Amino acid sequence: VRTAAILWLLVVATAAAYLGFRVVEGVQLRTDLLALLPQEDRDPAVQRAKERVAAAFGRRIIVLVGHEDRATARTAGARLAEWLGASPMVRSVTHALHADAVRDLGQALFPFRAGLLAASDRARLEAGRGAEIVQRALATVYGPAGIADARLLQADPFLLLPNFFAELPPPLGRVAPDEGVLSVPDGGRTWVFIAAQLEGDVFALDFQARFAGFFEGLEARIRAETSGLEVLRTGAVFYAERAASQANRETSRIGVASLAATATLILVVFRAALPLVHNILAMGIGILVAFAASLFLFGELHVGALLFGVSLIGIAVDYSLHYSCERFSRTPTPPRERLRHVLPSIALGALTTIVGYMTLFFAPFPGLHQVAAFSAFGVAASFLTVVLWLPLLDRGGSGPHGGRMLAAADRLWLLWEAPGHRRTRLLLGALLLLGATLGAVRFTVDDDIRRMQSLSTELKPQETEIQRLTGISSAGFFFLVRGATAEAALQAEEMLLPRLRRAQEEGALAQYQAVAHYIPSTARQQADRTLVEQRLLRPYRDRYYAQLGFTAEPAEAPAASGVLTLADFLRSRAGDAVRDLVLDETTHIVVLNGVVRPAAVQALATGIPGVALIDPTGDVTRLLGAYRGRAVLLLIASAALMLPLLAWRYGLGGSLRVLLPSTLALALAPLLLAAVGLPFTFFSAMALVLVLSMGIDYAIFCREGAVGRRSVTMLGVGLATATTLLSFGLLTLSSAFAVHAFGATMLVGIALSFMLAPLAGKKN
Amino acid sequence: VRRLLVLFVLVLLCAPALAAQPLAPGERLEGRFVQERHLKGFAQPLRTEGRFDLVPERGLIWRTETPFATVTVISAAGILQLVEGKETSRIDAARAPFLARLYDLLGGTLGGDWRVLERDFSVSRSGTDERWSVTLLPRNTAEAVAQIGQMTATGGRFVETVEIRRPNGDRERLRFLEQRPVREPLAEEDERLFARLGR
Repeated sequence: VRTAAILWLLVVATAAAYLGFRVVEGVQLRTDLLALLPQEDRDPAVQRAKERVAAAFGRRIIVLVGHEDRATARTAGARLAEWLGASPMVRSVTHALHADAVRDLGQALFPFRAGLLAASDRARLEAGRGAEIVQRALATVYGPAGIADARLLQADPFLLLPNFFAELPPPLGRVAPDEGVLSVPDGGRTWVFIAAQLEGDVFALDFQARFAGFFEGLEARIRAETSGLEVLRTGAVFYAERAASQANRETSRIGVASLAATATLILVVFRAALPLVHNILAMGIGILVAFAASLFLFGELHVGALLFGVSLIGIAVDYSLHYSCERFSRTPTPPRERLRHVLPSIALGALTTIVGYMTLFFAPFPGLHQVAAFSAFGVAASFLTVVLWLPLLDRGGSGPHGGRMLAAADRLWLLWEAPGHRRTRLLLGALLLLGATLGAVRFTVDDDIRRMQSLSTELKPQETEIQRLTGISSAGFFFLVRGATAEAALQAEEMLLPRLRRAQEEGALAQYQAVAHYIPSTARQQADRTLVEQRLLRPYRDRYYAQLGFTAEPAEAPAASGVLTLADFLRSRAGDAVRDLVLDETTHIVVLNGVVRPAAVQALATGIPGVALIDPTGDVTRLLGAYRGRAVLLLIASAALMLPLLAWRYGLGGSLRVLLPSTLALALAPLLLAAVGLPFTFFSAMALVLVLSMGIDYAIFCREGAVGRRSVTMLGVGLATATTLLSFGLLTLSSAFAVHAFGATMLVGIALSFMLAPLAGKKN
Repeated sequence: VRRLLVLFVLVLLCAPALAAQPLAPGERLEGRFVQERHLKGFAQPLRTEGRFDLVPERGLIWRTETPFATVTVISAAGILQLVEGKETSRIDAARAPFLARLYDLLGGTLGGDWRVLERDFSVSRSGTDERWSVTLLPRNTAEAVAQIGQMTATGGRFVETVEIRRPNGDRERLRFLEQRPVREPLAEEDERLFARLGR
């Protein structure tokens, strides 16, 4: 036994050395929630498009600088844009629309004007209402604005290209250039728009903290320089930083509270320091070995897996608690003897727990694999530490107060078995039944990913205001358009665009952007050229020129081969106008803004080959829903896996009895929570996985407790419950809904498992 | 679109006179205009005649009568052009914020604040309040206003002539006649025009 203890010391030392080595090297900790989730899309192009769009949105920040004085707002905006642009954390800043950009677009399109026709003009010509275009042209030439001169009238007699430009979608919602500076007027205030693309890993904690700190510095500076200035900002990086720092604060607050309470509890119960030391040792070794082994297996760890895993190891603390409780045994025994008493229960407990975690491996969540491995290694290591080391380290015996503790623990047995408590039992049963019935009526599920994260109360109103002012909504729906060729993709978009326009008029969405707005398909350009030639130039041009008294020679008609292609446009200096909409020549995205009725928008793609509506947020939500379902199946699977293990020791009837308390707790916890209005989520289901593995442990301990020593066992189970409630139950206080749901389910589930655990015991 | 600025600056030119003897609150300005555009490549100048109605804090209605009838409405909400009652073109201020800004400029100048105008143009005035002349030269050749070229306006109580010379040699001459302040409320039709434009 001593040899085994020394061998275990060697293993622990190796793990410590490996961990130390990795930490010095720099451990990769991931924070993006999506990294925990599986990539569900079977279609790599959809996945790639989502990643591209998500990356573009994830890297983007939007800042609005507002002031009652236009010049002041512009100066402040320019300064802020300049400071941002100077940072190595910022890749590019969009603040002013340079006259160059407008001119570049004009130069790129002008040679192909014969094939570029605004949708409204095409409709007029197709309906044989060319005269309206002539009227408009005359009105413009004679009108007060006076944009026409001889050069323009020669190149574009009916001023079709200006109308094509006018019907291009505004690139940034309501934001429009005001003397080059992107701005939004609102009431008496001018808002100057600044967008920036960040350079760096926006999902890395240190980048988030660095950038948020940097930006806050800039904001304070610009506010100090300009009185009465308003600054609004939004961006994934700000939310991530807020969430991380909030989680940090919460974790440390809840963590410290739970540690302090647990330590106090152990000290008060045992009135000795040694059990506390044992506990810390078992837990510490568990975390150390688990961390080292997981890093070895996965190369990196997700913060979520780490946190969840550490809490799962918390279960292992129970084993050392049970061992320590043996101190209270009425007949004083040496440490080795104490271990012998608890070994069957904690061995079976550890085994069922590890089996429980192994089922997590069946869930195709990369993050859950990490959690499973981390926890399984941790529990095994804690178990070995208890078994191999604690008896060697143990001194001392029970204190004089043991009797009172045992008497207290006995009460739970009495509740279930004493004939005098029959009415209490019935009342309790009735109450649970009532609660469960109410819960069954009010039961709801909620998988909405947006509600799972707690959105900062400071940032959300700013985003809403930015959305109101600019009409730019954060990442959301888009159409993915795929064609065999660039031409096919453009033609598919051209089928989609009129439907989008109708949907926009009906209010189903606010805005959309497509490549085909800028570059019509070759087929369309040729058709439009013919249309203009036959229905406008031939019947009206000569008369129109005569009416104006225009004497200059008409320009040569552009060559028929003059067709604008996507490839050429992308190579031109105006290519940036569509760069974000083109994944590659044959794969485009149509960005949608302010989608109000997703179902109506989705229906627009019906019958257009290669066009599909993509809803990344909805996909994650649906994924969470699917995995909520799978987690419940997982629960059943893991109970089924435990059954043979339990049957081998207790027989079939006994094993079912051992499963009874947990099964009841699993069924009742979500219903009782539903009764108080908490919806069932994926995170609740994950908590139930834990409730099962812990509840089984409690039941096993109650079952194993020899008749004369049941009080000691119950004290151990009671302590285990108390420590679990102190660690997980406190998560109920979290403001992040996912964590809150997890904590609340643990709280109720574990409390029920404990209260019902005696049902598994043998009758006295 | 940029050269719409021409019109606005033109409207602004009403200001010096109005500042000397401004419209009373609730008054608007009615009158006739004659516009002649001398463009290269045309046999004769493009000549337009019609009526205008300047409503402080609402906007401008510009009705061309010859050679044919069109209506242009300009307000803080944007620009709307109608031919025979049918909308032929519309530009929302949201897509051209300088409209809203120029509208502010107008408000400022009506209040006698010349500094806003002097930021974009060098302004030289001569004559008396009864018989004055103003010349505007764009300050920054890179800005949109540069395309307007040089402008000269003359007038007495109100602006009477405006002459614009473009960098390419084209020029434009506007005369305002029969101007008078009016107190009666807008005609229902004109109210509808502003409403159609929005805001």
